[in-house]
Amino acid sequence: MLTWGVVVVLAVGVYGQRALGMALIDPNRISDRSRQVLAMVPLSILCAVTALQTLSSQGELVLDARVAGIVAAAALSWKRAPMFLVVIVAAAVTAAVRLV
Amino acid sequence: MRQIPDGTSLRIGEAWAIAFTYFTVAITVSLVHSTAGTPTWVIIAATLLVNSATATLAYAAVTAAGGSVAAGIAGGWLTSTRFGVLAAALAPRLWPQRWKRGIAAFSAFDPNIALANREEEDENVRRVYVAMSLWLVLPWWLGASIGAVLGDLVSDPKALGMDAMFPALFIAIIRPQLTTQRARLIAFSGAGIALGLVQVLPGGLPFLVAALPALLALKSSESESS
Repeated sequence: MLTWGVVVVLAVGVYGQRALGMALIDPNRISDRSRQVLAMVPLSILCAVTALQTLSSQGELVLDARVAGIVAAAALSWKRAPMFLVVIVAAAVTAAVRLV
Repeated sequence: MRQIPDGTSLRIGEAWAIAFTYFTVAITVSLVHSTAGTPTWVIIAATLLVNSATATLAYAAVTAAGGSVAAGIAGGWLTSTRFGVLAAALAPRLWPQRWKRGIAAFSAFDPNIALANREEEDENVRRVYVAMSLWLVLPWWLGASIGAVLGDLVSDPKALGMDAMFPALFIAIIRPQLTTQRARLIAFSGAGIALGLVQVLPGGLPFLVAALPALLALKSSESESS
């Protein structure tokens, strides 16, 4: 259960990390090569987030209905389907598999 | 297809899809907190101030499992470390003024950083970041407030497959970026590292280690070009 105190402490910590990230690097003093590497970092992290949100739950590897939904989402993305369709189908397939 | 803002690669359909996903997921996140006994106003405040579902959910998960408040807060902070890394990755392409980046930091999320990062021109990076932050944060706040007020709106978000929406959205965002061999290598190693570490490291840390393939890619490009 969240309390006011916890909310404030979490907010300060989370914003602090974001602001630190923004402040760490001075855009005026960074080489082109470093820019190129940094440009790849979001891809790495986004893939990691996707993998864990598909295959894990609270720190444990889990194989459940989500996997079916995400496979469908991946197939649709591969066919360059609209993002909207990808999200809706993923939820629908996951829900359908849970029903069975 | 129309672009917003004009002249960038952000399509209106993408913005709507992201807004819809964040709106829907926000409702379910509020439901989780509501079920855990958090008062409506605290849920709304948490959404507005913390601005990270992973952080508040991690806190809820740790404390629900019998962890102390301190452990819950540590869990919340840890899971959101990736926003700091993502912010650092985009920072060189944002405004040179530190205070502007300080404001931008508040809404450092995955999709807006990934989509802004896609732009060629730094000017467009900033425009897409601002536009996408609004398209994401406003539906997020709205959905979270609705979920907090109507505590039992959706009885079981999982039955509706809502936990598959975020990863599905992220795949749709990642897919167009997998055009080169190197991008695919970075993407799959990032995912593999995270999966390999999830049971070993505390929540959030696997994401940081997963940033390594991108750094190693720099190393290899250095040796290729020299």
